[in-house]
Amino acid sequence: MSTFRSSWSLPLGLLALLVIGWFWIGAMSAATVSIAVLALYYAAGATSFNLLFGVLGIFSLAQPIFFATGGYSSVYLYNTYDLSPWIGMLVGSLVAAVLAIPIGFAAMRHSGHIITALVTLIIAQAAVPILAAIKPLGGANGLYVALEPEDDFGAMQFVAGQPYARILLVINVVLIGGLLWFKRSRFGYWAAAVHDSEQAASASGVPVQRLKVAIFVVSAAIAAPAGAVYAQYNLFVNANLFLGAGIFQVIVVALIGGAARAWGPLVGAAVAVTLTHELTDLADGRPGIGPLTFACAFLFLALVMPRGISGTWAAVVERRRPITSGGSLERPLMTVDRDVAAQPVAVGEPR
Amino acid sequence: MLLQQLIIGGLLTGAVYGLIGVGFTLVIGVGKIANFAHGAFVALGMYAAVFAKDRWDLNPYITLFAVVPMFALAGWLVAELFEWRGRKAGQIGELLIGLALLLVINGALEVQFGVSPRTIQGIEFGRITIFGRTILGTEILAATVTLVLALGLYAFVRYTRYGRALRAVASNPAAASLYGIRVPIAQRFAVTVSILLAGIAGIVISPFSVMTPDRGSTYLITAFAVIVVGGIGNTLGAVLAGLGIGLVTSLSSGYLSSYWTTLAPLALIMAILLTRRDLGVGS
Repeated sequence: MSTFRSSWSLPLGLLALLVIGWFWIGAMSAATVSIAVLALYYAAGATSFNLLFGVLGIFSLAQPIFFATGGYSSVYLYNTYDLSPWIGMLVGSLVAAVLAIPIGFAAMRHSGHIITALVTLIIAQAAVPILAAIKPLGGANGLYVALEPEDDFGAMQFVAGQPYARILLVINVVLIGGLLWFKRSRFGYWAAAVHDSEQAASASGVPVQRLKVAIFVVSAAIAAPAGAVYAQYNLFVNANLFLGAGIFQVIVVALIGGAARAWGPLVGAAVAVTLTHELTDLADGRPGIGPLTFACAFLFLALVMPRGISGTWAAVVERRRPITSGGSLERPLMTVDRDVAAQPVAVGEPR
Repeated sequence: MLLQQLIIGGLLTGAVYGLIGVGFTLVIGVGKIANFAHGAFVALGMYAAVFAKDRWDLNPYITLFAVVPMFALAGWLVAELFEWRGRKAGQIGELLIGLALLLVINGALEVQFGVSPRTIQGIEFGRITIFGRTILGTEILAATVTLVLALGLYAFVRYTRYGRALRAVASNPAAASLYGIRVPIAQRFAVTVSILLAGIAGIVISPFSVMTPDRGSTYLITAFAVIVVGGIGNTLGAVLAGLGIGLVTSLSSGYLSSYWTTLAPLALIMAILLTRRDLGVGS
């Protein structure tokens, strides 16, 4: 379930990721930083998507709506009430969570992945005209962030890209930590049970429908802050920024990275964004090359490794384990048993 | 006067929606596959007509005959892809293939033809005026072709032996295979026919449409709207739902402000999604 085997290596690993990332961003050139911001933004979105898809197996295309909610909330509150985006993005989380309740209900009311995918797709498409119809949010033009004369931490405005990349890095680390913690919590085991068999989980007393909607709501709430930071980075929000042609990109990044390991989204985002950037450069900025390479990479992965990079990695590790370490069968079983024993309430078979 | 005009316009576009939806509903019903690339094949059909017009100055209706076997072949290949991936990675694997194909087709069209809107000029087949609305001959032809094909597919599914086999697979694949129906062949057939119909729809509407590469996503939404209103796996429902959605869109564009033109059909779909208990045989 997670890469980290003992209780200490998880926080240490996250801390190392944070520190290395922090100084790496500091050493980047301006052009690289813009790639890093985009990659980290997609990675945060992909992690929030993985909470649904990786843990519960729900294929939701609604994630961009919640980015937009975060971005719009923070910019609107800053422009109108002079509320700092740092608070605004938390308010955005709250708004996204509230919005996610009816959306999640509508999407998961009818069983089956196909219905969920299509319903969320149609809601994401509907969001564009809805946003354009709301006058206080600037209609089709969107909102522009009221500019400060110089770097302003409270207003989350910086001339350079580095601070944005670092904020997004922190968000990523928090999300990864949260996801790993969640997987080991009681709800994580419930979710795993629902993933494997809804009927069996329901029979063992898991409130399946409520759990699904609750996780949908949480995944919406954690998507919103990344959207807010991305809006500050661009200094504007409109429907196109979040919901335009890029509506599938978050999902593509998540799927390229894979859901088997928590680092999947980071690697997926780095691969996808760098590849797109390099090939667009090679093609002298001819329109469409970026999206096309993105799509081809995705098709290739969908055909060759449907579980993404980290899923393939996990499968390779799994296959090698009996050779490298002697007692192959006992070790994974024992960790699972210990984790279950640590749970306050037994929920039957976790896997 | 305005009402009649809007109704005529709505029925003309609605017939095309019906054809796009009828294939989609067949694939979800029989194949249990949400082919995300369905709308992209409509866009591919449109741009095939543009390409033939640019390169060889061909009339789209001549292109149609050349392209039908190509779309059938492409459809069969996509069906094989779905089948192969679905066996190894399940429904999610199939979703990914569809999504990837949608993005690849969009991207390829964008690279080849650019993002600026395209039209095909100079093909009209005369025009008539009813209730003050001018209707092009090509529009009538498109509505007729799509309606005939969609109703033909309905009749095939409803009244022939093979159609009965398809319906059996849709309602219970395991039982159908016990009765000697070759389920994988039926599913491939459904995917192939739906992609073929999508391509045909794209070509017949090309003479009077404004085309952009991202129309694929728009038509995917249309197809989904049709199956939500018409019910999954219900071919006659899809035809009627297509006409209904065409009417709603057209009437809302005439009587409501422009925001509502896009919102009205979506609001209709949401209302149905939240109230209807069962969407049909699909899963």
